[in-house]
Amino acid sequence: MTDAAGGFDAALSGGPDAAFIRVDDVAKTYDTGRTTIEAISNVSFQTAKGQFVAILGPSGCGKSTLLMMCAGLEPVTSGTITIAGQPMTGPRTSIGVMFQDSTLLPWKSVLENILFPIRILRRPRSEYIDRARALIEMVGLAGFEDKRPHELSGGMRQRVAICRALIYDPDILLMDEPFSALDAITRDEMNDALLDIWQRYTKTALFVTHSIREAVLLADRVLVMTDRPSTIIEDVPIPFVRPRTNEIAETVEFVRICSHLRGLIQHGHGRGQDKPGVAAIFQGNKVEAAR
Amino acid sequence: MKTAPNIARVLGLPIATGITMCVVWHVAVTSGGVPQYLLPAPTEVARKLITSLPELLGHAAISGLEAVASFLLATALGFAGAVALVYAPLLREIFYPSIVGFQLIPKVALAPLFIVWLGTDSVSRIAFATFLSFFPVLISTMTGLQNADPNAVRLSRSLTASEWQTFVSVRIPFSLPYFFSATKVAATLAVTGIVVAEFITANAGLGFLILSSTPRMETLTIFAAILMLCFVGLLLYGAVSLLERAGRRWFKGA
Amino acid sequence: MSGTARKRLSRLLGARRVVAPLVFLLALFIVWETWLHYLPMSRAVIAPPSAIFATLVNGFPILMKHTLSTLIEIVQGFLLAAVVGIAIGALITISTWTRQAFYPNIVFFQLIPKVAVAPLFVLWLGVGTPSRVAFAVFMAFFAIAIATATGLENTKLETIRLCRSLTASHWQTFTKVRFPFAMPHIFAGLKVGMAMAMIGIIVGEFVTGQEGLGYVIMFASSAGESAPLYAALLLLAALGLALYSCVLLAELAVQRWYGAPFVSEGFA
Ligand SMILES: Nc1ncnc2c1ncn2[C@@H]1O[C@H](COP(=O)(O)OP(=O)(O)O)[C@@H](O)[C@H]1O
Ligand SMILES: [Mg+2]
Repeated sequence: MTDAAGGFDAALSGGPDAAFIRVDDVAKTYDTGRTTIEAISNVSFQTAKGQFVAILGPSGCGKSTLLMMCAGLEPVTSGTITIAGQPMTGPRTSIGVMFQDSTLLPWKSVLENILFPIRILRRPRSEYIDRARALIEMVGLAGFEDKRPHELSGGMRQRVAICRALIYDPDILLMDEPFSALDAITRDEMNDALLDIWQRYTKTALFVTHSIREAVLLADRVLVMTDRPSTIIEDVPIPFVRPRTNEIAETVEFVRICSHLRGLIQHGHGRGQDKPGVAAIFQGNKVEAAR
Repeated sequence: MKTAPNIARVLGLPIATGITMCVVWHVAVTSGGVPQYLLPAPTEVARKLITSLPELLGHAAISGLEAVASFLLATALGFAGAVALVYAPLLREIFYPSIVGFQLIPKVALAPLFIVWLGTDSVSRIAFATFLSFFPVLISTMTGLQNADPNAVRLSRSLTASEWQTFVSVRIPFSLPYFFSATKVAATLAVTGIVVAEFITANAGLGFLILSSTPRMETLTIFAAILMLCFVGLLLYGAVSLLERAGRRWFKGA
Repeated sequence: MSGTARKRLSRLLGARRVVAPLVFLLALFIVWETWLHYLPMSRAVIAPPSAIFATLVNGFPILMKHTLSTLIEIVQGFLLAAVVGIAIGALITISTWTRQAFYPNIVFFQLIPKVAVAPLFVLWLGVGTPSRVAFAVFMAFFAIAIATATGLENTKLETIRLCRSLTASHWQTFTKVRFPFAMPHIFAGLKVGMAMAMIGIIVGEFVTGQEGLGYVIMFASSAGESAPLYAALLLLAALGLALYSCVLLAELAVQRWYGAPFVSEGFA
């Protein structure tokens, strides 16, 4: 039994770690001066410790907003977020964040980029160098310690970003579409790498994506969000045992879950529009392009 | 996306800051007993601006017209020169290093040379200001013409468009944003050129008025003339910006 | 046969990127010299290259004195402007409020013809070095402040968020992330600032008429002696190139440290 599955059991049995991340009736409205954008209308969910939860939805539906609120980087408009029993007030070091862009510092080497959190947190560097090297080894970047980010491919940069998020050993990892800027082949590789990492360092994770396949491949649960103002319309458990490989994508069960999710997103859960799915995705793209 | 673009705040804050600074200036001068020949109070400057408005406007008209003439010449020559250099490789190879070299040396130093060559009347001043503001237009437009989207150029070629058609329908439109942003730089440089030339030789114009008032310590006149010059400069800059907006709109609409 | 000739021609033309401008310059000098030899013009208007060269040699000590004066003043003005400009650029980006309050005013100053205030500096600080250096600082620091502020503002939102998620202090974010990220912008500003500092010192020398190459140029032009005028212009061009190259070299060094190539900011 892996830790992840243990976390899942804990969630079912309602143990002490059953609500490690707890989001209660959270809403978010952006005030841009001229208009107000209701990004998230009402979201509630909870995550057990050690669980990997994917948040799936069309772009522009407020996934990043939700994640940033969980990270303490955006204030909530209403509702509460509780993490490890403590109400969220601001950023904390038990949370690591990963973005779509690797956000590496171009003037630092791979090793120094990975040690960047240690510098910010003013922890003794010597205690973390071995860990950094081990992480580099694990993600397959051995030999690249002294390279600069611009000498790396997009996939390699995201591997560095993963190491940087893991170096200070946060309990929670929040990932905002970390692989969506990568090409399809690299993305598959990164999914494999992440599955592998997950096997070793079990963390509690929220993973935002708009790829159905990625969500099902990686997660223990998939939360499906609708278009703005968004809520979670369904909480889909993913039953595949760990350790997983991307071979599960060939199974009938996998295809069935994917098509179920696709149906959920496309029909926008009966929002009373003619073709809400297409409209929602198109609108999402427009929002993305305008920003 | 970072902050709410609140119009009142975006406009109001800088204006409030400007006014605050004027008030501080006024209080400092009036209560600190600073002599007027060193720093006149803003109210004095405003009064001077109004009382000698006809004289100031006369000088402003001279400087302004010369600056406008230089600006127009510089943009026309800059654009034409860019087209010539982009389409004649030999010319480009001969002149481009000198042009880049000119960008690196302080061109204002050549002002007296223009007077030696062209005399002390407005021709030399206009020539100098044109010279000063010509280079940014030339270089930017060249960059724009050369950086036209290669796919658009390929598309145009695949449609068997002639070189001329490609130029008019692809390269020119792509270079316009570069050209327009350079014209704004040129507008400021044209006024600068006229002022420097008037410092050196003139018997009228705002630059002349400023410099000739210096030995007489007529600080009030200097301030009023500088203010007038700011108006002239901003008027030209504003007109060019409006044209640029119209041009960009046309570019997007086309 | 015509094929080999064309090949030879094209090889010749391959070198023309370097050759063409040199040939052009050489031709210019020869035409210039011979023209003046056969058709003498007023010495006040144009001097033959040989006369300019003679002035450079004979007047070397005095020309050097003025060159040195100009050089030192430009460097002083530039360095002061860099310090003041970067500090102001950093100060106005401390908060949204300060940026909104001051940034437009500084940009406003970039749009007006700043050279016009040169005589005021003479009035305040006299005709010596202080007034010229102060004027150069005034000319140069706006561009540097604007570039610094723009650079500091342009750090990617996600990178800032990363810092905040690590509970970095404002100071840590500034020194470790925002300031290094602003480097390309700051250097773009420093290059403009160097050009402006040169303009400031030269116009200052025009106006004060005491020393420096600007003074030599003014004096020679009004005395109807064009050889010293061209000699001084040549020296000034060399000075300009040298100073500008220094900024470029510094940029190159910082770029090497930075690792990635600077995205060149369009400035004219
Ligand atoms: N800082 C902000 N100010 C105003 N509107 C915002 C801001 N951030 C996001 N939004 C808006 O909120 C909505 C959700 O954005 P986001 O959370 O980024 O969506 P997603 O990550 O699902 O693509 C979008 O319509 C977006 O335009
Ligand atoms: Mg997003």
